[in-house]
Amino acid sequence: MNDDLVERFHKKYEVLSGKVKIASVVDDAVAHVVGILNSGNVTCIAVSALPEFLQRPIEEHCSSAGIEVLKPPFRASQLPGAMDRAQVGITVPDFVIAETGTLVEFATDDAARLVSTLPRLHIGIVWAEQLVAQLTDAAPRLRAVFSENTGNCVATFISGPSRTADIEMKLTLGVHGPEEAHAIVIMDRRPADG
Amino acid sequence: MAEERYDRLKAGITEALAEKPKRDALYTAMKRGRDSRRAAVAARPDGDAFRKDVRATKLQCIEKLPELVERFAGKVRERGGTVYMAKDGAAAIEYILDVCRRKNAKSVAKSKSLTSEEIQVNEPLEHNGINVIETDLGELIIQKVHEKPYHLVFPAVHKTAVQVAEIFKKETGQEIPPDAGEIMKVVRKYLRPIFLNADIGMTGANVGIAETGAIVIETNEGNARLVSSIPDVHICIMGMEKVVDTVEDALKMVMAHPVSAVGQMLTTYVTFMAGRSQLGDGEGRGPRETHIIILDNGRSEMRDDPVFADALNCIRCGACMNMCPTYGVVGGHTFGYIYPGPIGIPWTAAVHGLEKAGDFAPLCISCGLCKEICPAEIDIPMMIAEVKDRDSQKHPAPIVNKTLMMAENFAGLGSATAPLSNWMLNNSLFRILLEKTSGIDRRRKLPPFARRTFTKRFRELPPDTSSKGRKVAYFVDIYANYNAPELGIAAVQRLREKGCEVVVPPNQKSSGYPFIGYGDLKRARETAEHNVKALIDFARRGYDIVATEPTAAYCLKLAYHKLLHSDDSRIISERTHEIFEYLQLLETESPSPAPLKGKRFGFHVSCHQRPMSSGLAAMEWLRARGAEVELVETGTCCGMGGTFGLKAGALGYDLSQAVGDPLFRKFAEANVDAIVTESSVCTIHLKGGTGMKVYHPLELLFQ
Ligand code: SF4
Ligand code: SF4
Repeated sequence: MNDDLVERFHKKYEVLSGKVKIASVVDDAVAHVVGILNSGNVTCIAVSALPEFLQRPIEEHCSSAGIEVLKPPFRASQLPGAMDRAQVGITVPDFVIAETGTLVEFATDDAARLVSTLPRLHIGIVWAEQLVAQLTDAAPRLRAVFSENTGNCVATFISGPSRTADIEMKLTLGVHGPEEAHAIVIMDRRPADG
Repeated sequence: MAEERYDRLKAGITEALAEKPKRDALYTAMKRGRDSRRAAVAARPDGDAFRKDVRATKLQCIEKLPELVERFAGKVRERGGTVYMAKDGAAAIEYILDVCRRKNAKSVAKSKSLTSEEIQVNEPLEHNGINVIETDLGELIIQKVHEKPYHLVFPAVHKTAVQVAEIFKKETGQEIPPDAGEIMKVVRKYLRPIFLNADIGMTGANVGIAETGAIVIETNEGNARLVSSIPDVHICIMGMEKVVDTVEDALKMVMAHPVSAVGQMLTTYVTFMAGRSQLGDGEGRGPRETHIIILDNGRSEMRDDPVFADALNCIRCGACMNMCPTYGVVGGHTFGYIYPGPIGIPWTAAVHGLEKAGDFAPLCISCGLCKEICPAEIDIPMMIAEVKDRDSQKHPAPIVNKTLMMAENFAGLGSATAPLSNWMLNNSLFRILLEKTSGIDRRRKLPPFARRTFTKRFRELPPDTSSKGRKVAYFVDIYANYNAPELGIAAVQRLREKGCEVVVPPNQKSSGYPFIGYGDLKRARETAEHNVKALIDFARRGYDIVATEPTAAYCLKLAYHKLLHSDDSRIISERTHEIFEYLQLLETESPSPAPLKGKRFGFHVSCHQRPMSSGLAAMEWLRARGAEVELVETGTCCGMGGTFGLKAGALGYDLSQAVGDPLFRKFAEANVDAIVTESSVCTIHLKGGTGMKVYHPLELLFQ
């Protein structure tokens, strides 16, 4: 399902200096996350509202590896400082635009936005079924989320790591936001939450 | 007075010309911008068709702007945000200071916003003891050295890594190697506490969506995400023209902006923000606020102005700057007040005053290319002509502009007095005198005048009795008439060979393009009317109008109609063809033998051909005759700018040579026998700049 879109997303995301891992099932995705966490000197991570079946195994790994996990509800009194300690942020974007290599996140709490902004490394976990072909396909989804949320609401398109070319036109990654951007695409259907 | 007015401008040019490394850096940035844009547009399934779409959408939105702004403001308020409609910069600043006082704010972290620069918000804030920090890397660099942006997208492109490392060493006390990556790491550390602790976050907005009440903010670095999420108070300052109707409209802008700016499909981070969210749960933080300031500052007046209204369609992508030949040499410090580059001229006139715009408007050499690259298809050159025109009503135009606008009289005299006039053109004493009295640079080698004009020689041609198919009215223009009659004759012969009946309508004048270029729109309209009148009967009787001079074809096809908007000018536009595009229509089979076999040419496209044939027809025509033809280009103008490069000194010859340099080098390296171009003025420039032979394609068959 959506193989062709996954292929297009994969290519584009890499062009944008992002890294893509394809996972057949949730367990593979967790294994990829563990792999990424093990490859660096990670002592603290932040996660946005993950489904239980992702949250639990990731937390299990972290507790055995001595990694602190910041998760919702985030305490206002400790923000933004606490989040600044996290070296890795893990989110589950709401949908993905294949042609532009874009993860789209909806948030009604700015702390959730920080999970994909402050840490040096961001991991977005998505399902192949969440891919849409092109930018214009985003319109109805944006419209829907802004009419469901009649108060505050933020949608963010994220296409790869933070980049700048402000010094001598040389592309450099991670000037403010993540220097490394990983997308893990799960090919299996998304299980019911819980 | 007229001559001194531009002393500062000329000094700016001279300074820019002397700073080669800075110029090279700018050139590289702009060339990369152009090249990446071109590649990105080519990769789109619909090519550059999105421009029409963007324009149509913007026009619709500007048309109903007051209603959209009301709706947008209503939605923002429904979502708990605060809206302030600022009539001008002073009002906006007062409002911001008020928020700062109420919040007892000590620091403001900003993401890049041109609109905040338009009203120059930083100074009054700092004056009130508030620390303002630009967080976009390029903006931060120039803030630290108290400069203005050199380029819209890359504000600090003129600074080397060595200089930037030095700037941050001073700031942090840390030794930093002059390497972009290393500097970046230091900057990340330096800015982090600023993001975490700023009292207020200030952003601009690329778009406001009336349908949802959301603002859209684009950054590649992600700084706008941080300043719009962490501080408890968010202030957004946006121009009222940024409001669009629907989410779909917004996505069109979000797509067109980065493609045009740097050839990116999407900006790395695009934030659609509506209302203000909490930061985490529970107690511990102050109330969260968002203030959306919608700035008028002259925009309502622009909307009512028949010419400047077009500027409101600008989405601030900076593509016109990347395209502009003279901006590419002098940069934003000279070519701009606060708003830089081509679109900066009308915007400056509208929000900072005609006088300030008139100060740098002469840098526009009227190549017309900015219009061709603009995602909103804004007719920037026409607005610039209007700025020059309105400005000249207050300040008399320099003598040289007057001379060049009267080129036809000059050429008529030259031709009537040839060969004496030609001897004089090569006489250095006379040229010094000519430079002093008329402002034409003595270094410029000018084409000789022909004693017998084309008009005379055409009358003496044997009558053409062959069977007739199409009917052609030939528009001659100055060069073919007074300098190169053999070219006009060749055109007539080629057309006759193809079975055309050719007439030369009497009463035609030269195209008068310099009137547009130097901003005398009254006389531009008079000339347009004159030529339309000279041609219209023929056009109505089924004659096609053919021109050999690209600028003349451009006038007949595009500029006159823009000036006159009449039925007649529309008919003339529809009937007009460039010579080779026309010949190609008539060419049914390849000629044999191939007379140009074994020859290699480098082709130069004149700017005014870009919206027409782009020279493709002429290149095909040469190839069909056996020549090898390579398009040699830098992606922008050769620098001659019609007659601009004839002018003496910095604001003329010197600048035009500097623009031309990279192209001259390309031709020198192209390994070709000669250069071919259809434009008479480009010919003068390329001959002088390369020392190579330069031909009009028609000349190649009779030399
Ligand atoms: S017409 Fe040419 S010279 Fe004038 S502003 Fe536009 S690009 Fe620059
Ligand atoms: S005028 Fe056109 S090309 Fe120039 S910045 Fe505005 S939208 Fe971009």
